Amino acid sequence: MNESLIIGIDLGTTNSLVGVVDSGFPIVLADRDGDRLTPSCVSWPAAGGPPLVGKEAFRSRMVAPERTVSSIKRFIGRTFSDLSPQERDEAGFPLVSGQHDEILVAIDPETLLTPVEVSALILARLKAIAEEALEMPVSRAVITVPAYFNNSQREATKRAAALAGLTVERIINEPTAAALAYGLDKLEESATVAVYDLGGGTFDLSILQMRDGFFEVISTAGDTRLGGDDLDRALARHFAETLALGELSPVEEATLLARAREVKEALSTEERITARFPFFRGSESYELEMTRPDLEKRLAPIIERTRPIAQRAFAEAANKGVGEVERLILVGGSTRIPLVREKLQAWFGLVPDISQHPDESVALGSAIQAGMLCGRVRQIILVDVTPLSLGIETFGGLMNVIIPRNSTIPVKAGELFTNAVDHQESMAIRVLQGEREMAKDNWLLGEVTVPFTPGAKGSARVGVQFAIDRDGILEVLARDTVTGEDHVLEIRNAAVNVDDEVVERMVSESIDYAFDDMNERIWTEATRKSEELLPAVSEALTRVGHLVPAADLADIEAAAARVRITLASESHDAAALKSANTALDEATQTLAAILVEAAFSGLDS
Amino acid sequence: MTNFFALLELPESLSLDPEAVENSWREKSRALSDAADFGDGASESGPALDPPDLNQARSTLSDPALRLAHWLALRAPGAPADRSIDPSLMDLFAAISPVLGKTDEVLARHRHATTALAKAMLTREAIEAQLQVQGLLAQIQPLRHTITDQLDSIERAGASGDYQPASRALGQLRFLKRWEEQCRERLLSLIAC
Repeated sequence: MNESLIIGIDLGTTNSLVGVVDSGFPIVLADRDGDRLTPSCVSWPAAGGPPLVGKEAFRSRMVAPERTVSSIKRFIGRTFSDLSPQERDEAGFPLVSGQHDEILVAIDPETLLTPVEVSALILARLKAIAEEALEMPVSRAVITVPAYFNNSQREATKRAAALAGLTVERIINEPTAAALAYGLDKLEESATVAVYDLGGGTFDLSILQMRDGFFEVISTAGDTRLGGDDLDRALARHFAETLALGELSPVEEATLLARAREVKEALSTEERITARFPFFRGSESYELEMTRPDLEKRLAPIIERTRPIAQRAFAEAANKGVGEVERLILVGGSTRIPLVREKLQAWFGLVPDISQHPDESVALGSAIQAGMLCGRVRQIILVDVTPLSLGIETFGGLMNVIIPRNSTIPVKAGELFTNAVDHQESMAIRVLQGEREMAKDNWLLGEVTVPFTPGAKGSARVGVQFAIDRDGILEVLARDTVTGEDHVLEIRNAAVNVDDEVVERMVSESIDYAFDDMNERIWTEATRKSEELLPAVSEALTRVGHLVPAADLADIEAAAARVRITLASESHDAAALKSANTALDEATQTLAAILVEAAFSGLDS
Repeated sequence: MTNFFALLELPESLSLDPEAVENSWREKSRALSDAADFGDGASESGPALDPPDLNQARSTLSDPALRLAHWLALRAPGAPADRSIDPSLMDLFAAISPVLGKTDEVLARHRHATTALAKAMLTREAIEAQLQVQGLLAQIQPLRHTITDQLDSIERAGASGDYQPASRALGQLRFLKRWEEQCRERLLSLIAC
């Protein structure tokens, strides 16, 4: 085995890639068919046999959507209770909770997998692609993750790699990797750049300073649940709504999503296309004319969600004394959408730099980092930050920040703990990650137990050191200041050793429960949304109704009437109410925009 | 305790030039990287450097309040902490809480809103909150500068063994820093409204 070679992997939500530095240049490796993109898809054939990974799995998504897992990255390192009902519904494959609140993908009662296990299958495929292309075994890798991934998501990614037979030499943030790819041939230049990375399932914006071979991340912000998938779903909902398709089967949903993606891609270059749905439902076929403005109307609210996140990163960089951002580099497949580029130019006054390959630059950056670690690339120093503040829960349920977000990593910080009562042997500390003041509003990474030498109240002195390594992963060390003894404290979080029998029982119970309860749950959620929307519509129309075009007003009133009628019906038709809400939500987009504009111009006062 | 001034080979002064801190950190980081490239544990010019210490030294010495705390901890480790609020900060102290409370209320309503329209309804209140928070920040910054402008005299007092001014300044800077962070955090959150 070639111990010195390290490969770079971009484990993406939609597609994954593997690269390496060859003769000083980073390259992306192709599979035996010459394809460099591997769909991040895994499918389990109903007839049994080993799972299909990549292209084969992607193809089977249309015929067996419930047995095909895609976008698993959105679930890695998270707990089941962390998922919103919408996320569970939109996954496209069954998700259930395990014994310790872990997420399980339930292909069938015998095939239950964690997101780590599914990701491991994708990583194993990438490893195989690299081994075939390089004609040698590989066992070491650099893997990219979204900059905004928290500790649990990073650790889970590492576990997936271990399951795939890879030792992770470094976890690197995706926008940072893209900046490396961008700056490799510009080492002599000094610049402040922003990397806007809108991928299949995650969004990050990082601001970096490049100077004398230093690539230093100044600030980063992101959303690990925002990406091209959301755009596809918005478009698929529009198809279903416009074509009045009613309730959809899993295959129909998969078909709509696939068409949505095709339409989105086509309208990035064309001005108008016809979306065709042949034999969509039995012998029924449908088609829908769409223009780029139609598409943009659907996508704009989602793209707008990236704006405050980007502004946050810009504001934080400014607070740290960083001057003007000179370049705005776009990466991630979703940045091909012309509207994204137009919006960015309008928001930040910078012409987006599209010199990087949207799909490949992160993989190239990971290959460069891999090359740096195995001595194939020199002269570069990478300095990254931790995206989220790390803290502990203190008295009153508050979060006490120990390491602020955007701290340069590796970093360490200590706290001194003492016994609060006589003969106390230990104390439990809840370790949190996030930006909210109340502990309960942040991610609980786990608990550590600080041991005390029993004695009188206040006599124990244990220094606890929180260290975030270069991978952005936390280690907690305790030092007894009396004995000088150091030891690593275990962070107890979602258990990995799960009793299979218990899990199977829980899975079958939760599936039964889910089916009994599904309609009522969706109805209750939809009712809440209606109750939020209807009064908001009335008040908004009172405030700025005179500024709304007549055609939009008519649409809003019709959509609101539909919600009221559905809400009042005794049938409790959850799907109908959800659909009516979506229609009203969409009909009020212009009204919402007018309201925002009026607030800024002082007309809404 | 690691002496960050010594680690970055900078004078043990409260009035460091930020550029000097930056240059020293870069130089040491490069030496560390070169040492790693060639498999050494230490640079040629000095003892083995610990990357987390190096980063911590930079962030501590770049921030006047953290630098003062570190300087005081090195010079007078037993100096009693001054936790009283100076009368000059009392007006600000009284103003902070209601503004932040009101802002939190707007932010909470925004978080719970699930539709674009419901969020848009809050824009007006968010703008008002933003202006109030910016007003507080505008008050905090000159107060902080008033204290940091005294760092030279605080250092001189320390040289003659009087650390009470340092302790007092640190107490006030900590309040201001905390309030500034709270205001900045609210401003960043308000951007999303």
